[in-house]
Amino acid sequence: MKFLCIECDSAMKFKDVTRPEQGSITAVFECPECFTEIAMFLNPSETQMLKSLDLKLGGNNETAQPMQMIRSQLETGKQNIISNMQAETETGETQEGGKCPFTSVISDAFEENTTTEPDGLQWTSEALERLERIPSFVRPMAKMGIESFAKDNGHTEITGEVMDAARGNFPTEF
Amino acid sequence: MKTYTQLPGDAGSNIIGQVNDQHTRLKKRLSFIEHTVAIMSGKGGVGKSAITANVANALTQMGCSVGIVDADINGPTIAKMMGVRNATLEYTASGVIPATDSLGTKIISMDLLLSDDDSPVMWNAHSQKDAFTWRSTMEVSALREFIADTQWGELDYLLLDLPPGSERLPNVIELIPDLGGVVIITIPSDVSHLIVKKSVTMTRDILKVPIIGVVENMAYYICQHCGESEQLFASEQTPDNPFQSTTIGKIPFDPKLSHCSDSGTPYVNIYPDTDTSKSLIQVAKKIQSFFKT
Repeated sequence: MKFLCIECDSAMKFKDVTRPEQGSITAVFECPECFTEIAMFLNPSETQMLKSLDLKLGGNNETAQPMQMIRSQLETGKQNIISNMQAETETGETQEGGKCPFTSVISDAFEENTTTEPDGLQWTSEALERLERIPSFVRPMAKMGIESFAKDNGHTEITGEVMDAARGNFPTEF
Repeated sequence: MKTYTQLPGDAGSNIIGQVNDQHTRLKKRLSFIEHTVAIMSGKGGVGKSAITANVANALTQMGCSVGIVDADINGPTIAKMMGVRNATLEYTASGVIPATDSLGTKIISMDLLLSDDDSPVMWNAHSQKDAFTWRSTMEVSALREFIADTQWGELDYLLLDLPPGSERLPNVIELIPDLGGVVIITIPSDVSHLIVKKSVTMTRDILKVPIIGVVENMAYYICQHCGESEQLFASEQTPDNPFQSTTIGKIPFDPKLSHCSDSGTPYVNIYPDTDTSKSLIQVAKKIQSFFKT
């Protein structure tokens, strides 16, 4: 994936990535000449695909830890695993490991950001029922958009009426 | 306006570099392993894992250094069959130290990483509802880490116990392009033959991986009382074995083999002189001779 600043005809560079909010991460790219920034939103499925491949947006300068994908992503994993990160390698040389592997291997980029959850928003049962009718692969994005719309417009409860009002912003029926 | 190919790099993520690093780690680990063998079957419940466990220990008893990757990420059974379920994995900078059974066979399995008996493999995700879009990718990454990040040391044989079906084999070939060969397990039933024929085609004709041979499990039954050999799957028309020319072993149905799997001691360790053990050891020898010729 590459981005071009049309005005400068110049390749945009990766600048920053946010932690996931409701499963979606945002990557910011910048034109090195005019400093125009754009944001690319990865939907939850795309974010999850990146996690599944153990790849990081913006590059990865950290030394790979053994089984880092499994240990950071296995929700039902064992906790009592011994770690001895200063150890002889198979070729005999000593390698300096990181801190506790359980904390060091988890990519900050993939830790869910819980501080920006829409505070106090309640969904009525009717609204939840309508939400369930949205195709599953776009539902998280739609939910996020409705909550964002509700917050921006001062609603504390998401009702059918709020969904109707938000509907104009979405290509899908709900 | 510039086009895709005229833009250098990928805006700074170096995704290709990250993937290359993963493959370099994998390749380095595999360079210490002489032969890699996948044990597979299109059909479930034919005894792949029990045969893997016993053939591994037969090879170990023959003086080989052997490791097993339990590639059945969602239904791992090898750790139980090898009696290492209580092993605690140790992580070091140079890899994870695998579980080792009493004979020295090294084992890595998802079972060793799960919190308890009732825990299924659940991956961290915002929602599990669309898991079909990424779960398989997660499993292949887990398999890559099992092979690349385990401190196998120098091995003569690394056996990969694949889940039922033949869809995992292409993933294995991507991870191990020089896969030494495949052992295919079947049982003497038309239903099994129907499915296993597809595995043979996939392996031999599509993926072009050498088939070491086919093992017919539960091939016959030896009566515990009179010692007579009988067909376990006897029917009016006993199915012809379409794999006759490639069969490298016929393993009798033996209730003790199942008991041994449950108790975590491979059968060949306890009953080395029975017909069943002799058949399993013969499979191990055929694998050895396959690589010698």
